[in-house]
Amino acid sequence: MRVIAITGKGGTGKTAIAAMLIRSLVSKNMTILAVDADPDTNLPEALGDTVEETVGDQREFMLRERDNLPPDVDKERMLESKIYSILAERHGYDLLVMGRPDGPGCYCYTNNLLRGIMDRIVKNYDLTIIDTAAGLEHLSRRIIRDVDELIVVTDGSKRGLQTAQRIRVLVDEIGLNISHMHVILNKVTPQNRDRLIELVKQLELEMVGMVPYDEALARLDLEGISLMELPKNSLAQVEIDKIIMKLGM
Amino acid sequence: MADEYPFEISPMFEGERVRKDDLYIEFAGPKSKGFELVRVAEENEIEDDGFTLIGPDISEMEEGLLYPLGMIYRISGALVEPDLEAIVERRNHDFQNYIQGMMHLNQRYDVWLRISKDMIANGLESLEHIAKATMMLFKNELSFIEKIEAVYITDLEKVEEELTKAMEIYAARDERTKNLHDEDVDNFYGCTLCQSFAPTSVCVITPDRIALCGAINWFDGRAAAKVDPEGPQFAIEKGECLDVIGGEYTGVNEVALKMSGGEYNKIKLHSFFEFPHTSCGCFEVVGFFMPEVDGIGWVDRDYTGLAPNGLAFSTMAGQTGGGKQVMGFLGVGINYFRSPKFIQADGGWNRTVWMPKDLKNKVLSDIPSSIVDKVATQDDVDDLDKLKQFLIDKEHPVVEKWPAKEEEKAKPPEKKADEVGQVAPGPGVFAPTMPLDIPSMIGGGGEGIKVTLKNAKISIDKIIITNKK
Ligand SMILES: Nc1ncnc2c1ncn2[C@@H]1O[C@H](COP(=O)(O)OP(=O)(O)OP(=O)(O)O)[C@@H](O)[C@H]1O
Ligand code: SF4
Ligand SMILES: [Mg+2]
Repeated sequence: MRVIAITGKGGTGKTAIAAMLIRSLVSKNMTILAVDADPDTNLPEALGDTVEETVGDQREFMLRERDNLPPDVDKERMLESKIYSILAERHGYDLLVMGRPDGPGCYCYTNNLLRGIMDRIVKNYDLTIIDTAAGLEHLSRRIIRDVDELIVVTDGSKRGLQTAQRIRVLVDEIGLNISHMHVILNKVTPQNRDRLIELVKQLELEMVGMVPYDEALARLDLEGISLMELPKNSLAQVEIDKIIMKLGM
Repeated sequence: MADEYPFEISPMFEGERVRKDDLYIEFAGPKSKGFELVRVAEENEIEDDGFTLIGPDISEMEEGLLYPLGMIYRISGALVEPDLEAIVERRNHDFQNYIQGMMHLNQRYDVWLRISKDMIANGLESLEHIAKATMMLFKNELSFIEKIEAVYITDLEKVEEELTKAMEIYAARDERTKNLHDEDVDNFYGCTLCQSFAPTSVCVITPDRIALCGAINWFDGRAAAKVDPEGPQFAIEKGECLDVIGGEYTGVNEVALKMSGGEYNKIKLHSFFEFPHTSCGCFEVVGFFMPEVDGIGWVDRDYTGLAPNGLAFSTMAGQTGGGKQVMGFLGVGINYFRSPKFIQADGGWNRTVWMPKDLKNKVLSDIPSSIVDKVATQDDVDDLDKLKQFLIDKEHPVVEKWPAKEEEKAKPPEKKADEVGQVAPGPGVFAPTMPLDIPSMIGGGGEGIKVTLKNAKISIDKIIITNKK
């Protein structure tokens, strides 16, 4: 049971990296839970998958219906069953989409139930991979409590690297129980490679891999084709396989 | 003991999920039909440990398919009474999840079960194994059950037939639970979730008072406190009742003192003015006193317009939140309008003069028929003068209590545009039309200023509160 959240600045390649990781790991016969925690919901598409309903929808259902439910109904059991019913079960992985964030009103109780439910669900998988939204709020308000590793994806931009560093500071500040924070440099080109290695060193970030800029990947994404179609020997996928080895997955 | 069954039984297997890849057959759930039901029966009607199956058994089922399933247990015992049915029924979930390779989700007519391939590989052939193991657990863990028998149904038509009957039983049960009141129980429940941003907030949940966020009722509190007594919901021994109408209990007062860090030592559960429940920012509806008509209006989160006092929900919520006892304002959950004790210390519905139309419609059937047409909505009035006239026209009970000088006052008093507050003719309570302009904490945080005066003697001849432009 290992839970890894993938974070980083917007557009750096979090979703692409998550999808490539999942793809490689599925072929290793691990049970994987893929979680799309980005309200924009891109991971299913990257996986060539579609998901109709989200955790957010179920949460809204509970909020909307609570006064009409039998008074002594066990709401945790009910929500749990709802979450299970929207968990997309595929060969090798299950996919859960978080969907819309909290609206106005009080979500304290429902989210608290949800945390308990997710604690239990996550235990059923060898590995949970969470693709998150850009930004940092989700780190402090997360529904999955057991996250113990972060993969911070950054591209070569100064801003991307700064975000990576801010995340590290934040993790310390809010006292998250993160045992490891790994950095993946993405979209690396022969031109920016050396400068990036230097920058990462200055920022004292622990780097686990450099994923090259991959024309084939960019093209698939542009045409809206799932990354599952990426050739196994493409530059990016090969580097991802190396990262998996390094992380001991 | 577990050797009798072709599977392991242990609480350790709770939370174990049977994934689709590992699934042999599936029962009921969102895409099929099913239910679980516990019924009390006469001792001589029960064949102890008996099992009847109506419909095909596991050995006759096809791998990967979904089947309907009804589970009926009949129980008897000297101490067994019909009120226990629901409590016993709930445990079916726990016990079936103790079975390795079996997943039981949800409850009642929403049950959903999965049997793993491993269970079949280990020799499971019949639902009888599962029923017998479940019955064994029922008897072991609930010692008041002396005899138990099970009928499982996998035949669709028969499931549907029995489900229809079961629905009536559930409905009758719900009717009984709805009739549970504060005086019928020994424990209330508290919740600390919102103390993270409203540290003095004291949330008390009783059969007659749903949490102000609307999310937690007394049964939820009981369930949560039982599963995790150290968790955010905990039991409050209600203690002695000090005020029947107001809803004041020694146990609640003690918890209030503790939870609010000494800020509040008295809470009256069904009071609006005197020692009201604290309001964190989570309430579904905020009530506001309008001294001009000596009545209370309510506005909910979904209503974006202005209340007759000229304020929007968000404005009043901002002033009321923060976990304080706020004079003249009170946050409640929508279901509280359905409570027979709804602000009964202060006149209940007879004090209610205005609410948004949608909110009123939501709780319409719970408004006493004598008052229902006398509660104005935004369709009837949009300011205080019109509200006054409406109440007079409809002979709302608050009108009787208006001071005699009402006659002169009936003409709208000249109001200086920026002088909005005056000392309220409320029931000995200072309730300005506008909340005092003290920045308060809203929803998820923000700085607040707290002014605490201790042992202060203050005499004031007149307060004029002017609105900052
Ligand atoms: N190694 C790579 N080589 C080429 N293009 C890449 C690479 N990684 C990502 N991209 C492209 O970068 C864009 C952004 O990638 P992606 O959507 O994965 O980023 P993200 O961090 O998940 O974005 P968001 O913050 O919007 O969720 C996509 O068009 C994707 O095709
Ligand atoms: S408002 Fe609801 S969630 Fe918040 S403390 Fe009260 S009961 Fe708990
Ligand atoms: Mg993304």
